[in-house]
Amino acid sequence: MSDIRHSLLRRDPLSAAKEVLYHMDISLGSALQSSGAGAPVLDKSTIDLVEEFIFHVPKDRSVPPKRMSCVQELQLLEIMCSYFQEQSKDAVRQVIFSALFSLQGNKADESRMAMLGKLVSMAIAVCRVPILECAATWLQRSHSAWCVRLARVLVDDYCTLVPSSFSTLQNICSASPRFCCQLITAVTALYDMSSEDMTPPPSLLEMVVGWVTEDPRLLLLTLINMPLGTSLPLGGLDVTPLMGLLRWCVKAPLAYQRGRKLSLTNGHGEQEKGVGCEELYSKLHLSVLQVFLMLQVHLTEQNLLGRLAVLQLESVAVLMEEVSRLVEELNPLHAASHIQLALDRLAQALQVAMATGALLCTREDLRTLCSRLPHNNLLQLVMSGPVQSTHGAPYQSNFYPHIHPPRSSPLPPHNTHPALSTHNTHPALSPHAAHPALSPHRPLTPHATHSSLSPHAFHPAAMTFPYRPIR
Amino acid sequence: MFDGSALPAMQTSLCHAPQNTYSPQELALEIKAFISGVDQTQGRKLSVRDHARCAVRLLRTVPACRGAVLEHLRGVYDEYVAAFLQDLEAEDENVGNDTGGGNNNSVSNLEDVIKEIHGVLLEFIRLNPKAWAPLVSAWAVDLLGQLSSKHAGRRAAPHSSSLNELLQLWMSCAATRSLMECYSQCLAAMLSWCPDACVDALLDTSVQHSPHFDWVVAHIGSAFPGTIISRVLACGLKDFYAHGYSASTMSVVSDKANPQQTALTPPSVAAIDKSNRVPKIGSVVGILGHLASRHSDSIKKELLRMFQDSLSPPPQSAPPPSSGAGGWESSPHLRRATVPFLLQLAALSPTLLGAVSTELVDFLRPPVLLQLQAQFQGLPREELENMLGLAVHLISQTPTGGTRVLRFLADTATPASVIISGPTPSPHDGIREACDRLLQMLLLHLHKLVYNRPEGDEPHPHSSSSSVTAMPRVIPFLEELQAHVGELCAETLRLERKRHLWLHQLLCLLSVYGGPSVATEALCQLLTQARNPEELALASQLHSPLSTSIPGLLPAAVARCVAQIHTQNLNSRELGQLLNNLATAVQSQEEDRKGGPTGGSGSSMASQVGAAVSSHLHDFCSLLLHGDMIVSRAAARLLSCSQLPRAASSAHLLLICRAAVAHFFVALRQRGEGVKIGGQVGGEAVSYSMRLLSRLAAHSPLTLKAVLQQLVEGALHKGNRDLFGGQHESPGEDSAVSSTLEPDLDVSLLDVNLKFGTTVNFSGSVWSVFHAGVIGKGLKPPHSSAQPDPVRVSQNLQTLLAVTVQCCSTGGGGGGTGNNGSNGAGAVPGGGRFQHGGEPPLFDEPIPINAEAAKTIAVTLVENICPDVANGELSWPPEEHAKTTVERDIHIRRCFEANPVLFHFLRVVAAGRPALCYCSVVLRGLLATLLTHWESSRESSVADSPWHLQASCLLVSCMGEGQLLPPVLSNIHEVLPHLSPFEVRLLLLGVWEYMRGNSPMPQKFTFNAEKGLFYRDFSRDGDVARYTAPIHSVLHKNIDRLGHLCWRFQV
Repeated sequence: MSDIRHSLLRRDPLSAAKEVLYHMDISLGSALQSSGAGAPVLDKSTIDLVEEFIFHVPKDRSVPPKRMSCVQELQLLEIMCSYFQEQSKDAVRQVIFSALFSLQGNKADESRMAMLGKLVSMAIAVCRVPILECAATWLQRSHSAWCVRLARVLVDDYCTLVPSSFSTLQNICSASPRFCCQLITAVTALYDMSSEDMTPPPSLLEMVVGWVTEDPRLLLLTLINMPLGTSLPLGGLDVTPLMGLLRWCVKAPLAYQRGRKLSLTNGHGEQEKGVGCEELYSKLHLSVLQVFLMLQVHLTEQNLLGRLAVLQLESVAVLMEEVSRLVEELNPLHAASHIQLALDRLAQALQVAMATGALLCTREDLRTLCSRLPHNNLLQLVMSGPVQSTHGAPYQSNFYPHIHPPRSSPLPPHNTHPALSTHNTHPALSPHAAHPALSPHRPLTPHATHSSLSPHAFHPAAMTFPYRPIR
Repeated sequence: MFDGSALPAMQTSLCHAPQNTYSPQELALEIKAFISGVDQTQGRKLSVRDHARCAVRLLRTVPACRGAVLEHLRGVYDEYVAAFLQDLEAEDENVGNDTGGGNNNSVSNLEDVIKEIHGVLLEFIRLNPKAWAPLVSAWAVDLLGQLSSKHAGRRAAPHSSSLNELLQLWMSCAATRSLMECYSQCLAAMLSWCPDACVDALLDTSVQHSPHFDWVVAHIGSAFPGTIISRVLACGLKDFYAHGYSASTMSVVSDKANPQQTALTPPSVAAIDKSNRVPKIGSVVGILGHLASRHSDSIKKELLRMFQDSLSPPPQSAPPPSSGAGGWESSPHLRRATVPFLLQLAALSPTLLGAVSTELVDFLRPPVLLQLQAQFQGLPREELENMLGLAVHLISQTPTGGTRVLRFLADTATPASVIISGPTPSPHDGIREACDRLLQMLLLHLHKLVYNRPEGDEPHPHSSSSSVTAMPRVIPFLEELQAHVGELCAETLRLERKRHLWLHQLLCLLSVYGGPSVATEALCQLLTQARNPEELALASQLHSPLSTSIPGLLPAAVARCVAQIHTQNLNSRELGQLLNNLATAVQSQEEDRKGGPTGGSGSSMASQVGAAVSSHLHDFCSLLLHGDMIVSRAAARLLSCSQLPRAASSAHLLLICRAAVAHFFVALRQRGEGVKIGGQVGGEAVSYSMRLLSRLAAHSPLTLKAVLQQLVEGALHKGNRDLFGGQHESPGEDSAVSSTLEPDLDVSLLDVNLKFGTTVNFSGSVWSVFHAGVIGKGLKPPHSSAQPDPVRVSQNLQTLLAVTVQCCSTGGGGGGTGNNGSNGAGAVPGGGRFQHGGEPPLFDEPIPINAEAAKTIAVTLVENICPDVANGELSWPPEEHAKTTVERDIHIRRCFEANPVLFHFLRVVAAGRPALCYCSVVLRGLLATLLTHWESSRESSVADSPWHLQASCLLVSCMGEGQLLPPVLSNIHEVLPHLSPFEVRLLLLGVWEYMRGNSPMPQKFTFNAEKGLFYRDFSRDGDVARYTAPIHSVLHKNIDRLGHLCWRFQV
């Protein structure tokens, strides 16, 4: 191996890097053939070569590191692009990709990330699906901090720096939905609405909403494709972007209100900024709720209902914490409607999530969690549940008092009777009736009458998205 | 022009943007084409232009290519600049030929590409400044740096030192101008949120491409002065802190210690070793230096603000980033590094030092000082030492404001006192000590600088050149202080505790530094301003170290003082002080000499002052007549104790004599008035005057004569008459004059002339006796003036006579033989004697009156008393002839009446035998009037006309003293009071007879060498008995009353 290294040292950085790639390909090819079915692995020395000649980590003090110029780097990227495109074997591609870019926790990681960002960005531009698939896998396996960095690079590239190329990114969805799913997860992790800078740029939001409304199933792709029993890496991204999107929806009214307040104090108003987004968030919220329902189907099919917490209770708790802090920050008098909107969304999502088994928690848990939030009728209802909700008792819709005053909620008040029937006939519930989290089954109160919540029983024609059974 | 053309390009690119939605395949091809430089569809090579266009397209569509595209564009810009410069050079080469067409083409070819790139970049920046500005600014600055240093060596490029030409050249080049514009745009965009980054880049690049990049910094700096200055400072501070200020401080201090090495080694070697890069402070200094020409005010403000901010307590709330300079104020480390940083900056750049030094001191109020102290308490010892050294170095280099710095240091370092509490509360002890230390180090440092200046002990091979270059080493601090020598002297003379020691030392250094002119000035100031001997001692303390290095210092200083006197810069108080100080100095020399002959060496100040003063005596003498008594007295004191120069010209001497005598009378009058200052002080002035006069008289026969003449004339002068008991208005004045004084009389000259029918002057004849009044108007009103205080009169008389006698007795050698050299010193004890004894030793034997001097007095008396020289011969005519000179005689008598002092003068003259002979005319005239008086007197007793009696007595006794009369005859004055007028006349007639018979001739006197006096041998004159007969008969007649006096008249 050292003779390879010596010969590489004599070359210019670009050709050395090319040579390393070639070397990897050859050795992997042979390893794949020899080992057969088992996952081929790269030996340590090759990894070292990669780090030295592609990521330019100085291995030897005597040898001054030769950096590639930007143009050479671009050439290398181009070569990589073509390589991954042309590599027919999935396994080899995956191994090489992870050999190149999986993080080692050493000095090379920085340049690794830089190169990865450029590679993915370029792959998006020239639509190299294999690379995107590899990147999706990478996003699944890496720590969320790195994922967020990648997302940041991409968002910077396509949303901020070169907005004119944004359509390219938008079009990726059709090419590699898996990548898009992961990207959404990463993006929601990046933009957590904690500050002005951390609210998603409108174009990004629009894109995400576009993607999700076009195919809500997109959000579950990773979850669905994930083999059962695979353990998630520690600190990795969520399996689904649901939590992140829920956070967006709930916090958006408050965050924009806050932003407005800041801009008012700063003396320049950007009033109209949030208006267009508000609708997008509304749409997004709906899609999220729909996805919960889909999720229920999926969980039921996989016999995971009540066993897999798609929404972590902890993250919900964090979300509530954030909401309460935001509420405190805002002046309740002036932002009452926004607060109520946020809380309504939260309550709806909680209700649906709990009902669909995406969130596993008891009502008591919920009460303690919600204790710090300001009063909201809907939330109150969700927390209290049916008035006489004893275990095993039949559900009666009249237990829900008609307390909702008519208001400008995006979801109009309703009559719960149809929902009741829905629930009673829901096929997915019976096997899990004993589950404590789900046992006092509630009808999906406000949304039950909404267009698309009940896929089986009623108004399928009114569904706004083409429903496809999962798998 | 550029903007105008860039605009359409931008617009086209804008409207292109939405349409240009390339498919991924197209983009892949585009990338390939960009990488390979070959058109992928047609397979031909791309031109530079097309390649650039391709790059721009990629920039718009594939974000991942950004870095590569920008890198590629560098090449495009570089190519453009190369072509541009080549064009310029070609133009230079063949001005007439128009062969540059092809090149021009390529330049213009590229120019539109550059415009396009420019447009795209600007658009990006405009649309999304936050994302693009950092990118583009870094790129643009780096590229600018690269371009300007790469092409610096070109022929067309001006030398890097001519900043303006560089600026002109590069701003005329489209590529660099475009970059500059981009950068300005970025900066403008970034200033609001992260200015540090872009200024950092600017500084880094500036350091990297040092001289060639200056034009960029200058341009940017003048476009954004306020921001750039504060950013540059903040960046510099951060860098300074990050790279350890101790190292750089040390290097500067060591540089300073060995100035020759400064030139050989780069400014801070230590820092380079440490971080392998030049610290930014160098470029900070460079940039600020550029900006200083036009924005020195804002630089100054910024520096001072920085200093203040570093000391003021940290802001409690986190400052919004837009408010200040990068928020360095909030970091305690940076705050602590600020002061060293500022010192360092100042050390590196004289202009910055100059900007700050003047006003920094104003900020150093006690609370600030306390904070400073608190801040530096934690620093390690050697760092503090370094800072102290640096501060001292800086102070010594301060071009302006040095005085304020000095005053501040001295004020702060002066120990607090319970007694003297200044306007400001006394500072903390630690601060005071620190200032004390600083001041001492400063003095030490200056000392080294000053005394090492001319030699410059560097081991340089070119010794000749080095000595030349080392000579004019300037110390700005001292340069500035040179203008404030006067204030420094005044401060020093306040003798406040330690302060005057420091200041004195400083004065000394300043004098050595500034050479003779400053030293002279300082000494002159000290001499002028010192108010007492202790303060005056400072002058001699200053003189003693300087005298070795500056020859001729004291004469110059004294000459300067004299010049000051002439220009009348000084008020009378200062003038008096100066003169007194000089006098004190001279006197101390005398005391030195008295104390021991070896004690006062030639170098001591006193002797030199003496010498210097004596060469300027005539300049001082005019001050004797200064209106202010203090001045005149001081002048008298000075003159009285200084040596008269031997080689003085007679004109000067006469001038001095005249002034001295005039002063004498003024002093007498002032002593008499004694109003302004106590009588004792007035007496002092008189005694000085007396000493001066006697000194003058002792100097030479000429001066003796002059002094005596002046004295006599002065005493008889009508202005001075009253001092000696004389009457104000001389009775001898023309009646016409007196009548004009009385308007009631209303006598016209015409009337007078008509009355007498003639205008013939009858003076001298019997007809002109108008003395009693105008005929027809009755007698003249008797003159009645308030008789002055007899005590004062007698005191004045005594003083006058004492002076006269003093002058006469010490007179300039017997008979004009000039042995006055020894007399000068001998005169002093005599002067001392007069001071303690008010009683003039008129008749003391031991003081012989010099005959020559007495003769002078006599002649002067005659000239003054007797206006008519007719019948002026020495021998006496028969008594009847007196009738022909009645008027003259009356005049003489009136003179005597009006001036009692005359008798005293006569006595002096009489004592200086045979000088009284020359007064013969006067004596004769007086005797004649007395005879007439006694003859016509019908009173029973002589006591009824007391004046005449007294005059007769005095006259006779004087003549006896002068040995004009033999003792037998002269003794008659003893009996005169006891006789009747007729008998008096008889006796006086006898005197006349004797005089007629024995003419008063000087030849009749012979010199007695033993006694040093002339004597007359009366035995040669024949028998006196002839003349004694009337005496005896009168004695007989009154034997009952005069019996006891008979023995006096035995022959």
